[in-house]
Amino acid sequence: MLRVPLTLAVAACLALASPATRADEASLKAEVDALRAEVAALKSEVEQMHAQQVAPAPRVVETPPQAPATVATGNESTPAPASASASTGSAFGNTSLWGYGQLDYNRPTARPGDARADLTRAVIGFNHQFNETTRVYGELEWEHAIASAEDAGESEVEQLYIEHALGPQLGVRAGLMLVPIGLVNEHHEPTNFYGVERNFVETAIIPSTWREGGFAAYGSTDSGFNWNLGLTTGSDLGKWDPTSDEGRLSPLGSIHQELQLANAHDPSVFAGLNWQGVPGLNIGAAVVTGKIGQATSRQTGGDANFPANDSRLVLGEVHSRWQTGPFDFAALYTRGEISDTRDLNLSFLGQPTPVPKAFWGGYVQGAWRALEWNESRLMPFVRYERFNTGAEYASQPQGLGTPALPTQRVWTVGANYYLNPNVVFKIDYQDFGYDDALLNYGNRFDLGIGFEF
Amino acid sequence: MALQVRWLIPIGAGAASIAHVACATQYMSVAQAQRAAFPDASAFVVTTPTLDAATLESIDAPAGWMPQVWQARNGDKLLGWLMVDRVIGKSELITYALALDSGGAVIALDVLDYRESHGGEIRLSAWRRQFEGKTATDPVKLNHDIKNISGATLSCRHVTQGVHRLLLLYDHVLRAG
Repeated sequence: MLRVPLTLAVAACLALASPATRADEASLKAEVDALRAEVAALKSEVEQMHAQQVAPAPRVVETPPQAPATVATGNESTPAPASASASTGSAFGNTSLWGYGQLDYNRPTARPGDARADLTRAVIGFNHQFNETTRVYGELEWEHAIASAEDAGESEVEQLYIEHALGPQLGVRAGLMLVPIGLVNEHHEPTNFYGVERNFVETAIIPSTWREGGFAAYGSTDSGFNWNLGLTTGSDLGKWDPTSDEGRLSPLGSIHQELQLANAHDPSVFAGLNWQGVPGLNIGAAVVTGKIGQATSRQTGGDANFPANDSRLVLGEVHSRWQTGPFDFAALYTRGEISDTRDLNLSFLGQPTPVPKAFWGGYVQGAWRALEWNESRLMPFVRYERFNTGAEYASQPQGLGTPALPTQRVWTVGANYYLNPNVVFKIDYQDFGYDDALLNYGNRFDLGIGFEF
Repeated sequence: MALQVRWLIPIGAGAASIAHVACATQYMSVAQAQRAAFPDASAFVVTTPTLDAATLESIDAPAGWMPQVWQARNGDKLLGWLMVDRVIGKSELITYALALDSGGAVIALDVLDYRESHGGEIRLSAWRRQFEGKTATDPVKLNHDIKNISGATLSCRHVTQGVHRLLLLYDHVLRAG
């Protein structure tokens, strides 16, 4: 009995559903027609574009630069992290880190008891990009492993400056910056120089790492020139210690201030010019000058009788480096003069270290890529240096004058072995023209490890 | 290699130059590099090379590496390739464009962006011209057939490595395609 109503119900439902199905079919047909029209329109557009592709006018199909494609860290290229900033390109957003380290072992052949091993430098650097044109750049350094009141180590801020690009080839800096002089001062990482220690000329005469606080402008030209001009703090002759050997070891190294509560009455200026218009060749010169008396006689707590307020430093330098094939040649000459030292030296009478009127140095160096396999290479080198930290002293009354120091001569023969371009092991032997234990002059054997990242 | 025509919008020579906002560290836009290397091109066709693990290994490239690649064409004629890639100089990225002719020889190397505090001398045309004519069969190695710039060694080395990798990309992937 129940089957009759069920059949009727099904029939009723089918009767009701039939008009709805017809309506769906009509809707579907309309939709298909619309799609047909759309496809036709797209087809027409594509045909139009194909026609344009063969048109004579040049056209550019361009996608904006996408996520960083390649990052070379050290010597190897690795993919950039997903977090890399497209605007600055930094591997850590807007901030990037770098660093280097140097460990040395020195063994004087005549005084083996003075053999010494040292973690000479550990350095962390950073670069933070505020925007496309402005950044802060810093270098923090620890010397001799431990820095404390009881230890010989130092903790230093070696560079800290703001850099602002004014254009593609023009920029300005403000802060604590390296003086752009010589071949080592601005490029002092151990992978960048031959030998365990930096050369004598660019430590005794040019006090690498030489930095001053102030302002600078820099720029370059398409013809290969780049230039630097700066107005900075200067050295302080008031800090000269005639009882110490430091002034004979490095006259400027003993009075540069490194922006440590620097006496800043007298500014200095620097100017540097390099030409690199031929690949592999660099020819350059630089000069630094300024009064270095720093008004010592007028300083609170200063020496009221200081006689060298108007003393002026002029340091000039010329250099060249030529890297061609397996060879790497370099030469540099520098000379400094300090004026108005006569009365100051008279006040130092009887002390071992008067202020020199002139000091100079120069070297020639040749290196050769003797062996190379994969990333490794062996670079033997030889360097010949002459320098004098007291080449001339201001004339004094008869019998009170200071004789010039003997000119030192150093031959350095050794090799840099680069495990890869960022890690170097060094060995060398240094032969001195004369010994002076106080100044650490004396034939010696050196070993070193250096790295940079 | 899959060749994809993603879009072919006739931007026009004048309009292309405004696609990039000039900034102090950008020396050249992609569009400028394209036109400088291929003045006769009628179209630059975006190309996506297929870079599987084996291919990447064969060209000494890391996983995930994918430079931007365009085919420069004049009608049906292939004029060459333009590739844009990035490497790190010392701690910042350098963006550069490498243009190859249809035979895979370097037409031009251009530095598009440089952000380092030092080492910007790689922008010097005298240095970049060393790459002209180089192919995948050349060493393209710093201090061998490419001379260094004193004070810009890291930038020189890494850009040179990058160019060598792009030449291998052409030789191993694009040429076959």
